[in-house]
Amino acid sequence: MGKEKQEIYSIAVNGTKDIERVDTERSDEGDGKEKRKRHSKKDHQKELKKDLDLDDHKLSTKELEDKYGTNIVQGLASTRVAELLAQNGPNVLTPPKESPEIIKFLKQMVGGFSSLLWAGAVLCFIAYLIEFSKDKSASMDNVYLGVVLIMVVILTGMFAYYQEAKSTNIIASFTKMIPRKAFVIRDGKKREIPAEHLVVGDIVEIKGGDQIPADIRILASQGCKVDNSSLTGESKPQSRTCHITHENPLETKNISFYSTTCLEGTATGMVINTGDRTVIGRIALLASSLGHEKTPIAIEIEHFVHIVAGVAVSIGIVFFIIAICMQYRVLDAVIFLIGIILANVPEGLVAAVTVSLSLTAKRMAKKNCLVKNLEAVETLGSTSIICSDKTGTLTQNRMTVAHLWFDKQIYQADTSENQNDQIFDQSSATWASLSKIVTLCNRAEFAPRQESVPIMKKVVMGDASEAALLKFSEVIMGDVIERRKRNRKVAEIPFNSFNKFQLSIHETEDPNDQRFLLVMKGAPERILEKCSTIMIHGQEQPLDESTAEAFQTAYMELGGLGERVLGFCHLYLPEDEFPDTYTFDVESMNFPTSDLCFVGLISLIDPPRSTVPDAVMKCRSAGIKVIMVTGDHPITAKAIARSVGIISANSETVEDIAKRLKIPVEQVNKREAKAAVVSGMELKEMSPEELDELLIYHTEIVFARTSPQQKLIIVEGCQRQDAVVAVTGDGVNDSPALKKADIGIAMGFAGSDAAKNAADMVLLDDNFSSIVTGIEEGRLIFDNLKKIIAFTLTKNIAELIPFLIFIIAGVPLPIGTMAILFIDLGTDVIPSIALAYEKAESDIMSWKPRHKKKDRLVNHQLALYSYLQIGILQSVGGFFAYFTVYAVQGFKPDRLLYLRPLWENGILNDLEDSYGQEWTKYQRKYLECTGYTAYFVAVMVQQIADVIIRKTRKNSIFQQGLFRNKYIWVGIASQIIIAVILSCGFGGIPILNFITLWVQYWFVAVPYAIVIWLYDEFRKLLIRRYPGSWWDKTMYY
Amino acid sequence: MTKDEKKPLEQTLGEWKRFIYNPGSGEILGRTAESWGLILLFYLAFYGFLAALFSFTMWVMLQTLNDETPKYRDQISSPGLTIVPKPHGALEFSLNVSKPSSYENHIIGITNFLRAYENQRQEYHIYCRNGTIFDQDDLSPKKACRFPLETLETCSGLTDESYGYYEGNPCIFVKMNRIIGLRPQGEPRIACAVKEGKDVKLVTFPKNGNLDLMYYPYYGKKLHVGYLQPLVAVQVMFLTHEQEVTIECKVEGSPNLRNEDDRDKFLGRVAFKISLTH
Repeated sequence: MGKEKQEIYSIAVNGTKDIERVDTERSDEGDGKEKRKRHSKKDHQKELKKDLDLDDHKLSTKELEDKYGTNIVQGLASTRVAELLAQNGPNVLTPPKESPEIIKFLKQMVGGFSSLLWAGAVLCFIAYLIEFSKDKSASMDNVYLGVVLIMVVILTGMFAYYQEAKSTNIIASFTKMIPRKAFVIRDGKKREIPAEHLVVGDIVEIKGGDQIPADIRILASQGCKVDNSSLTGESKPQSRTCHITHENPLETKNISFYSTTCLEGTATGMVINTGDRTVIGRIALLASSLGHEKTPIAIEIEHFVHIVAGVAVSIGIVFFIIAICMQYRVLDAVIFLIGIILANVPEGLVAAVTVSLSLTAKRMAKKNCLVKNLEAVETLGSTSIICSDKTGTLTQNRMTVAHLWFDKQIYQADTSENQNDQIFDQSSATWASLSKIVTLCNRAEFAPRQESVPIMKKVVMGDASEAALLKFSEVIMGDVIERRKRNRKVAEIPFNSFNKFQLSIHETEDPNDQRFLLVMKGAPERILEKCSTIMIHGQEQPLDESTAEAFQTAYMELGGLGERVLGFCHLYLPEDEFPDTYTFDVESMNFPTSDLCFVGLISLIDPPRSTVPDAVMKCRSAGIKVIMVTGDHPITAKAIARSVGIISANSETVEDIAKRLKIPVEQVNKREAKAAVVSGMELKEMSPEELDELLIYHTEIVFARTSPQQKLIIVEGCQRQDAVVAVTGDGVNDSPALKKADIGIAMGFAGSDAAKNAADMVLLDDNFSSIVTGIEEGRLIFDNLKKIIAFTLTKNIAELIPFLIFIIAGVPLPIGTMAILFIDLGTDVIPSIALAYEKAESDIMSWKPRHKKKDRLVNHQLALYSYLQIGILQSVGGFFAYFTVYAVQGFKPDRLLYLRPLWENGILNDLEDSYGQEWTKYQRKYLECTGYTAYFVAVMVQQIADVIIRKTRKNSIFQQGLFRNKYIWVGIASQIIIAVILSCGFGGIPILNFITLWVQYWFVAVPYAIVIWLYDEFRKLLIRRYPGSWWDKTMYY
Repeated sequence: MTKDEKKPLEQTLGEWKRFIYNPGSGEILGRTAESWGLILLFYLAFYGFLAALFSFTMWVMLQTLNDETPKYRDQISSPGLTIVPKPHGALEFSLNVSKPSSYENHIIGITNFLRAYENQRQEYHIYCRNGTIFDQDDLSPKKACRFPLETLETCSGLTDESYGYYEGNPCIFVKMNRIIGLRPQGEPRIACAVKEGKDVKLVTFPKNGNLDLMYYPYYGKKLHVGYLQPLVAVQVMFLTHEQEVTIECKVEGSPNLRNEDDRDKFLGRVAFKISLTH
């Protein structure tokens, strides 16, 4: 049974080939699969083509019963259910394969700097073993250090893992669905079971509002309509019947798919596919098999790790060789190597970066951008192209009255979200008639029990246009339902696609007027046909040529705006012909439907969200290209694009130019047109080169009538231009594009679970402008990460130089490895995180997006400025503190040079200082620790200056405001407090090598801290003064 | 996806070559000669400035010090004890009486050490008053007290140039570290005792191992020219052959000289081992 099914439902999701080729290959499934594997690796222009080999829609009820061993009336037997459930598993989508937690955890511990630290730890143990083999009483210091290093790796790994897990959990809790129920007939009884217990062959019942619990073949239907938008992206309701209407299983109306929703009516169906074998399941699987590109920030951090590791390893090796050449013992050389590696690795940075990213993620979540993957926070900031959906993202996703035409004049209606001021002229008598038609010729109703809800937010039962008209009249005229009651409906012909009009006949509310009122609305040209008069200022006038022309112009104009236009007309039925008691029969149409009086036009549109034009402007000034990708008609798409500014007011498409110059489209120079509207059909014909050209030469692009699959092609086209592409999507079919995009953005409301799974980010309010705020945050965090890294790298030099001087000049060691760890993981952590709270220096949204390959997170300016300038300055300051401590205690700098062999000699207990005093080994050790502490404090003091100068990269600190970011001060306080605790509290713990330092030593490096600050102000001043100069290029990081 | 494809080796090499020297733009290592010149000039100036800054701050700092006494002496409040001669490695002597090479170095070490105490070098030293602190805070120049080698008797080298090593009764000299301004209280003396081993007798010179107070305080290398710190010699008299002993010497009799520090094994005490063979 299982085998057979596989044959029937095997799906050919093809990554590379055209439809024709799929057809030929289907016979040879195994071969095809292999080829697919090979191709999917490197093929660029994928046409995602689903070909569902499903024939259940062609089978008769009887055949279906046989095939699935079920009975349409009785349902499955419970024994059979258990069997099938065991065989096929529950009816759920397997969540995308995630690496096991332990692997994720271990990954945190080997990536990046961790490997360097592991190497350091191993060297520590080796050093101890060498020492131990020579001398059984070797000191355990190296072992302690090794253990500490391993602990550092594990702790930072755990921390990063925890942060990552926390942010993943936010999304996990978000996507967790409410358990769905399904009505099923089993053993002849109807019962409600959790949807995941459904098996193939189950008979299920569906009613309006339900989500389809599995792929089902419809057996009976009563006015059932489904919304397939989660599958196809098209939100138009589709009816479902039990008859086959199309060869293609995806098109036929007797199959309903898992995760689509039933809008109205009821249906009974047989489950034919469950879980991952459903159509949705297969697409989701495809999406999860698409490889995810590395996020830009991951690439940047990798690049940065390479730089730092490169510096660490090369300096380490160079000095290892130097040490050997200077005839140090190998053991000593190894210990130097450890020190150099340790000094070079910014141990606390990974934690700081993770925290900063998750802080931003939290901030974004508040602004309705829920980030699934921490790194996506920054990706959004480097976005250079946004491919946005139209419906729901750019628009409000509800039809709204946009324009009215009556008295030969176009009036504009308010389309904002709350529609509180309708400003058009309502004094005309024509409007009174029109409003009456709008109110009466309408079947939509408000759902009950929402009296307190604002009108625009009320739920309406009925189709989108009718709902729009209902709300429109409710806003303007008040209680529509009451008015309808006063004008009792006596007959009605609902809208159908054949008639293209809707008609109803009402009693009038005027008790003196016994006439019936016939009201009609529908496609304008159809309505006009039925009219012989037109109402102008409340007066009926014959419909002459000029009026008809005026009508045509208005119709064209409104249609050209991409709006759906409806015509309205009415007729008061003569009292003598249609008395009070007249029975209207809608079948025989025993009433006039011609020679009516034309009243007006109303056009509807799904209006843009009011915040979107601003957001698009922001994107434009931020150098981000916004491309609209929609399934809608090109005219509508273009109109919306114009109204939100995706196509700016003065730019033209090729067609516009052709129209203006009155020349054929082919003669227009394509480069002249800034804007382009491309339909899915045209896109299909395009070669990748043509698409590239289109993407390069047109800044304002709208893709209309595209299938969700074509999104993938567009995304790949953009990525060929080295752009960082953000894609919004909600349907299941969007998920491959979401996955392929550098950052996939799923919609929180409208989005399907598959889309949310594939996306990196979820927009909680489905609003395009939230993306823009997200971009702002992303750019800010990129800038702030630069600051954090620059801050962190600086002191690495101050930690490294002591080792180098120690090796070369033979002075007592200025700073110990423990002190280094305490700077990296103690005093520096909170200030570096505080930099993540720094406000933007200038309007970051006026800059071009960073170039993925040119604008690096860590560029050479940053490295050089941090390493060779501020870092060296800090080292000098540190050495000043170090020399001071030794000098005031009796060892002047000249005495220290090349003193190391004597200084470290364990049995030399009468080493003479500059004054003739003699020191025991322990006393020297104690002095050495004082030196460590002094150097440590000096670095800490200068890092205070460093964190202050890193607040800005270009502006003066005073422009930025010293106190605007309070966290910086928390950070500075933490630096001081940690240093004080270390110096005072832990002075007694021998392996930490801290000494209670006298107050005066704490201020030794203050002049250097001031110099650092002054120098950086000077640097910034020159950068501001001379933009583009050599200084700017060299010193601006 | 395509980005990850490996570039062919030749291309990589070519890129490197172009990086090292780009004939098109005249760039060496990614910069033109002019750019290199500018950047080197900048760093020259920057480091020049740093050097000046460092020198200036160091100069200011050194100005606050005086040449005679260090600013602080808190880290050496109590002196350490050391011995002469110093064996190589740990404080362990292994002496073979019949093999002079096993102690020749020690004899040379001692002779060199005692050279400063030779009588002709003490011509300008004064005879000080025994048993009292020789306070000369107001005196300039500071006087150094005589330390007659004779006090060390048989270990003085005056009678036995081998300091007892030939006979297998080696002399070990114990001294207390110089610390500027240290004024021992009480009657400090070096007391040595056998910690491990038996059949040895210790003879201390001068008797009781006294450290005379007249040698204190010390005024530092610069002021106190020719200062001689008092010595105590311990002669280890082995009663039997083939011996191994551990001897510990401590400063005693002075409340402000510590000798029991847990961490500093040489603060006011010193322990050494002698193994002797014939």
